[in-house]
Amino acid sequence: MLEARAVMVFYENMLALNNVNITCPDDGVIGVFGANSAGKSTLMYALSGIILDIQHKERMRGGERITLFGEVVHDGEDITKLKAHQRARRGLVLCPERRRLFPESSVAENLSIGGHLATRAEAKETFDFVMDLFPALKKLTRRAAGFLSGGEQQMVAIGRALMAQPKLLLLDEPLLGLAPSIQHTVVESIPHIRNEREISVIVTEQYARPVIPYVDYAYIVENGSTVMEGTREELLGNPDIKAAYFGCG
Amino acid sequence: MTTETTQKRRERIDRGIKVRSESLYALNSFEEIAYLLTPRVLLIAAFVLMPLILSPWPYWGRVGLSVCILALLSISFDFLANYVGLVSLGGAFFYGVGGYMAAVLNTELGLPPVLSIPVATLLGAGFCTLALLPCLPLRGIYFAIVTLMYPLLMTRIIEAFDILGGTEGFRGIDGFSGFFTEQYGLILAMFIALFGLRRFVNMDGGLVIRAVKDNDQSVRASGISVTRTKAKAVFLASLTGCFAGAYYIHMYSNVGISSFALDLSIMPIAATIIGGAGTLVGPVLGAAILVPLSEFLRDFGSLRIVVYALVLTGFVVFRSEGLMNYMTRKYQQVERWVKI
Repeated sequence: MLEARAVMVFYENMLALNNVNITCPDDGVIGVFGANSAGKSTLMYALSGIILDIQHKERMRGGERITLFGEVVHDGEDITKLKAHQRARRGLVLCPERRRLFPESSVAENLSIGGHLATRAEAKETFDFVMDLFPALKKLTRRAAGFLSGGEQQMVAIGRALMAQPKLLLLDEPLLGLAPSIQHTVVESIPHIRNEREISVIVTEQYARPVIPYVDYAYIVENGSTVMEGTREELLGNPDIKAAYFGCG
Repeated sequence: MTTETTQKRRERIDRGIKVRSESLYALNSFEEIAYLLTPRVLLIAAFVLMPLILSPWPYWGRVGLSVCILALLSISFDFLANYVGLVSLGGAFFYGVGGYMAAVLNTELGLPPVLSIPVATLLGAGFCTLALLPCLPLRGIYFAIVTLMYPLLMTRIIEAFDILGGTEGFRGIDGFSGFFTEQYGLILAMFIALFGLRRFVNMDGGLVIRAVKDNDQSVRASGISVTRTKAKAVFLASLTGCFAGAYYIHMYSNVGISSFALDLSIMPIAATIIGGAGTLVGPVLGAAILVPLSEFLRDFGSLRIVVYALVLTGFVVFRSEGLMNYMTRKYQQVERWVKI
């Protein structure tokens, strides 16, 4: 169970996240939808702890001052001050936007890098699970990740995140720049991940339509604030939301 | 949602006068003009007054000139590294080529310093650009390593073939006519390099050069030759470096293979880091700190390097943005606590 309470993030004087409260129960699939610059990625950074690293880097080079407020609670423990690698050890793993694979390493290598936190047996077992989840990767294990198509790269990125043995997987815009048919393959993996490995998932996306069938509960973010939240049915029932984020009605 | 205790955040905002004096119609008070000009005038005044103050102590006058020489080399490094994206360890190459070129022109052809320095600067920059042309497609660490090799290569060639005076170098090169000519000639040249490049990087040609640093593929896609652009930038940087070399050998009336010493490639990097990378003024500031510091530390003997290294490490670890960026921020922005 992950809870973000009143999270606020300032990039210098710009308010990127304003009082955001998000709850992700165990075995839940949570969607976060919003346009560009709504604050989705910042929320992901705040949940995964990457924001602390960005904050430190900016301070070192005299760049923007990033200010954080609020708290992130994971399984009843306050993890607001924990760094990204400590949160990853607790099972909070981010699959970053634009995938960030290691382009010169092969697919197998990318996956084993993700398996740093796993024991050898776990890594092997997860590797097989990833191959079953995305059969397209089976033939590509020795190919350099940079030469894969966008969809295949996304599959590797999700696989790499799974190799870290997450309890909660944060997927930041997994469908970015993918063809609709590939989007379908990627999204379909979410229920498998949840059901077969009991991993809860938070997924962000700009366009909710391909993802909405798979989420239990969703938040709509606009300009850094959650403007609406509800179960899938509630969101689908709202005509404004439907027009803006589902492209129909 | 829950009880909003008094959370406060430290806010940075631009000073009112900065915002006013930056806008197009704003320069309507002496206060605003002064705000814009003060930092520049301070720098210029400091260097213009330096020879007058130091004239009773010729030794410290020379130290002042060493500041300018290092400043020129550092400006050249900063320009290449932070505006073109070519991290060059070849400062000594520019410097040495300029120095030897001026020495040959002066001793063999008998050109006076007034002619030999500019001609050596131009010819030397041309030579450096041609020599570096094959390496221009390289980037990052590869370019750095290759440029590091050039000064070493020159040293060995001069030694092995016993050309250009061999290990002895040239002696008896003409000096300058007087203390003040020597001082102000170099200071003027430094200002030209500093303010010229600062202006250039914001003009059209400079924007293309900066674009090469950010994304050379986009530049290529716009129909611009990346190599030619880089060659232009290297020419500008080597002009600065060669001038420093040419001027220096006329100051001390001799040149040797120590003109290609590694120090001349490393010191500019240190000055740039301390002063603030990517500002062009920062390197001048860094040079003005480093050179006198190493003079004062001369009494410590070999411990000098230890102190020196500690200062450098301190800057890199605690203030990697550099002095200039820090000071600019303090000058232009105020900080205050705000409630949220």
